[in-house]
Amino acid sequence: MEFLSLLDITFFLLAGLGALVGIIFGAIPGMTATMAVAVCLPLTYALGLNHGLALLLGLYVGGISGGMVPAVLLNIPGTPSSITTTFDGYPMAQKGEGEKALRVSVIASVVGGLISAAVLFFFAPVLADFSIKFSYVEKFLIIFLALTVIASLSSNMLVGIFSGVIGIWLSLVGVYSTSDGGNGKTRLMFDAMEPYLYEGFSLLPVLIGIFGISTILLEAEKGVKRDIAGERVKLGKGNSGFSLSIFKGRMTNLVRSSFIGTFVGMLPGVGGSAASVLAYTQEKNLSKDSSQMGKGAPQGLIASESANNALTGGALIPLLSLGIPGDSTTAVLIGAFTLQGIQVGPLFIPENVNTWYVMMTALIFANIVMFFLMFYAIKHIAKVVMVPKHLLFPIIVMMCVVGAYAINYGIMFDVWTLLIFGVLGYVIQKVGLEVAPLIIGFILGSQAEIYFVKSLESFGTFSIFFTKSPIAMVLWALIVASVVFSIVVGMKTRAKQKMELSQVAGSTQVKPGKDRDQNSR
Amino acid sequence: MIVSNKLMTSVGSAALMAALSVSSGVAMAQDGPLRGNVRIVIGSTSTGGDTYQNSSIVADHLAEHLDINMKVDAVGASSAFRTLDRDSRGNTLMIFHDQSYLGYLYGVQGYDNIFEKYTVGPTVAINPGNAYLVPKDSSYENLEQIMAAVGDGETVRVAIQPGGVSEIGFSALKNAISIEYPGMEDNLVAVNTGSQSDKNQQLFDDQVDMIHGSVQANEQYTRLPEDDQKAMRFVWLTARQSTIEQAPEEGMGKTSREQLLEYVEPNVHVTMGDDENFTFDKEFFFLYNKDMDPAIVEQIDEALADIYAEGEIQEIQKNAFFIPNFKPSDEAAAYLTEKMARYEEIISNIK
Amino acid sequence: MESGLSSLLSVSIDFETSHLFFPRIIHWILAGLFALILVTKVAPFMAAVKRGERKLPIVGEARDSFRFFGTLVLIVAYFYLMAVVGNMFPYTGYGFLFVSMGFVLLMAFLYMHEWTKKAVITAVITAIVAPSLAWFVLAKLFKITLP
Repeated sequence: MEFLSLLDITFFLLAGLGALVGIIFGAIPGMTATMAVAVCLPLTYALGLNHGLALLLGLYVGGISGGMVPAVLLNIPGTPSSITTTFDGYPMAQKGEGEKALRVSVIASVVGGLISAAVLFFFAPVLADFSIKFSYVEKFLIIFLALTVIASLSSNMLVGIFSGVIGIWLSLVGVYSTSDGGNGKTRLMFDAMEPYLYEGFSLLPVLIGIFGISTILLEAEKGVKRDIAGERVKLGKGNSGFSLSIFKGRMTNLVRSSFIGTFVGMLPGVGGSAASVLAYTQEKNLSKDSSQMGKGAPQGLIASESANNALTGGALIPLLSLGIPGDSTTAVLIGAFTLQGIQVGPLFIPENVNTWYVMMTALIFANIVMFFLMFYAIKHIAKVVMVPKHLLFPIIVMMCVVGAYAINYGIMFDVWTLLIFGVLGYVIQKVGLEVAPLIIGFILGSQAEIYFVKSLESFGTFSIFFTKSPIAMVLWALIVASVVFSIVVGMKTRAKQKMELSQVAGSTQVKPGKDRDQNSR
Repeated sequence: MIVSNKLMTSVGSAALMAALSVSSGVAMAQDGPLRGNVRIVIGSTSTGGDTYQNSSIVADHLAEHLDINMKVDAVGASSAFRTLDRDSRGNTLMIFHDQSYLGYLYGVQGYDNIFEKYTVGPTVAINPGNAYLVPKDSSYENLEQIMAAVGDGETVRVAIQPGGVSEIGFSALKNAISIEYPGMEDNLVAVNTGSQSDKNQQLFDDQVDMIHGSVQANEQYTRLPEDDQKAMRFVWLTARQSTIEQAPEEGMGKTSREQLLEYVEPNVHVTMGDDENFTFDKEFFFLYNKDMDPAIVEQIDEALADIYAEGEIQEIQKNAFFIPNFKPSDEAAAYLTEKMARYEEIISNIK
Repeated sequence: MESGLSSLLSVSIDFETSHLFFPRIIHWILAGLFALILVTKVAPFMAAVKRGERKLPIVGEARDSFRFFGTLVLIVAYFYLMAVVGNMFPYTGYGFLFVSMGFVLLMAFLYMHEWTKKAVITAVITAIVAPSLAWFVLAKLFKITLP
């Protein structure tokens, strides 16, 4: 227990401060955990290793969970991994249940964070050995499995899949990067566009453009009539409709999603946003009643938030036991180690036992601080929706600009991407295509390409996807199950809708609230 | 709308005044052409990588010495070149390494001849860690055996990232085989792979026989027991012997400088013909906009000369496993031009 | 049979053109799906439009044109001017700071329905405080590069 002597008040204060600053970063649309860690990295020079790690891990945990706030309240995912939080969180906020949604999310987050920390602590080396069993083929199948969520997410399967494929197409624009093993050539654009589009569209500007800017355009079209965003939000009465009983019967979901999050975080090269998407898919497929998911069901929030916070522990597994970052934030964390002259690799844990314990302490403490900060601040945070729209909207645009500009350390084209995808998002929703499948296609598309093409380059036959390993076969089973499930569920809901439709025939007018609900998805 | 117009003018003038008062407070180098806020863009998008780390060490010292604000931004090669193209005032500088011209030599889209399009500034450091590794239980003892095996008709697959620093060692090896075992060089096969983690994974999967890596990232793997699937072994460091000799004596991790020296020339022999051995040091240097005031070039040269004369920066660089390597602009440009010419020859030989 | 199947499944990708391999597959899928949608969705919809039962999206819809196009114009002007002004004060973030102030104010006025003195004053205060705060925290405290 030598490491205890390394812990002091400053250590805990820094972890707490990190969590707080991280939450703020995560809560601002466009600012991410990665950015929070990156901007604070130079501070760790002065702080020393242990204090620096406390701060950075606090930022990491806070940043990931802060993303839920704009996702729920404004329908803008604060970080890419909170994309699935918008699916149920925003409908709940529109029903006046924003506070409840946030509380559910916070609890799911802390559980996810702690479960993944426990997994990290007890199984890191074993899991690292397991994770290297996943080669290109298996990684492609994981991405493919996550993509099957498109089928179950869309209200019309054909249109949904079409939207998803458009998303994949958009993600391929630009260079087939040599840093992914590609040949460094650009495609799907004209040569004249190369100065701007060389690196393609970046994820974050696309995300906040298609969610944030297009929402504002849709509102502007309607004249920005109701001046308060969440018209029926009941605040300050101490009655948020939240109670722990929401979690009753949801423990499987909570634990399953946490493990999915940890697991996806663990696979290097499979982006963090795949975690929440995969957890959401599985909940949709496996739960007894998933008909309300996407319309404001707490179970969707539980799946999404526990998975994305479980990423934190998961992504640290390959970092600390292989020296390979599990996601973009841990890639920046490597910098903190190299700045201090510490090597990360397969021998990191045995050679730096004290640092390892210090990190675990910081990680767990940051999760707890995050929980208390968020849980008790929610009442105030939720008041964002009380800000009149004519003030809220310009500020949202402004913050989106900051986020888009800063995500790649200062590139103006990323700001224009906001507008391009804002307008695209508007058009898409107008012509009846679906935004959620499109964005999931966009998020996963480029990874799907690399792993697909590289698998074929290595093995030279399509059959490898089926015969590579037992893991691949298990993944195929999951994929097939997922597809069959969404078809069955889709047919069921259609039958149900037809029945309901025949019952309420005559009153075809749609309530404005419901109308917005459809737009937002 | 009259109200708003009035307000706008008053807000506008208030803002202007604020701007004037703030800008007068900004730290400025009073005695040099380089002033205000300077941004250093780098050719990498990673803030955890060697380019960023090295650039921030240099930027911190420069900023302090010149009393200006400097900020390193990891925008990536394509964006960095473009940002540099647009700013000839000297507010944008770039730091990158040999990739900047190797990308051009390999014909990667988005790379131009830096010696024509930009002004090459001073070099600041070397990353000596460029390495090639095999699995620990590989039947190949050393690089010589690998070359002999290829010369004997065996296929050896090497995981590299195409189009740059990661490929140049492979090209040199191929060139050496074509000299020593003419006609057999095609048995050395490049497997185009991306990140270090992907390359490692290819090795674990037995999809390749050798990978490109680095001392920093792979040293711990070389210390794993042989029965571990992840265990690796160095066979070649491309750095010059004189470069590694300047590394700290304790080396990297638990691999000492002496052990590292076993993997560089002349212990490892990759011929370029004419009794010359191939070496490659990854060197970091400044790039400037062609139209930038030459006085700034001079100012930075002088500032760096002072900084390196003080000697503190060398300690910091060595701690981070960089080899200090300051050459003023003129010297650096001549040296790098010559370096490019040599590699150009190798690449055209094996085409 | 066995060998026929495996030769059918075997594929070799030329590295030089490998950047087009996956996009080509996606193009075919897109084309197929688009044809399906054209037949099953768009054709019946267009028929309905012809009969006057439904309206074309976007072009056929009513909208608050002033606010909609005002928003677009403001955003374009905002993005454009930010870079222009920012270029006058390199890497200080002033471009963001000053142009944001104007943008927040104008957009607030654009969306304002009741022009009371109080509303105008809040808008002005917001327009000054919000960008300043963002600029100070991000550009000054965290040293993030802003336009």
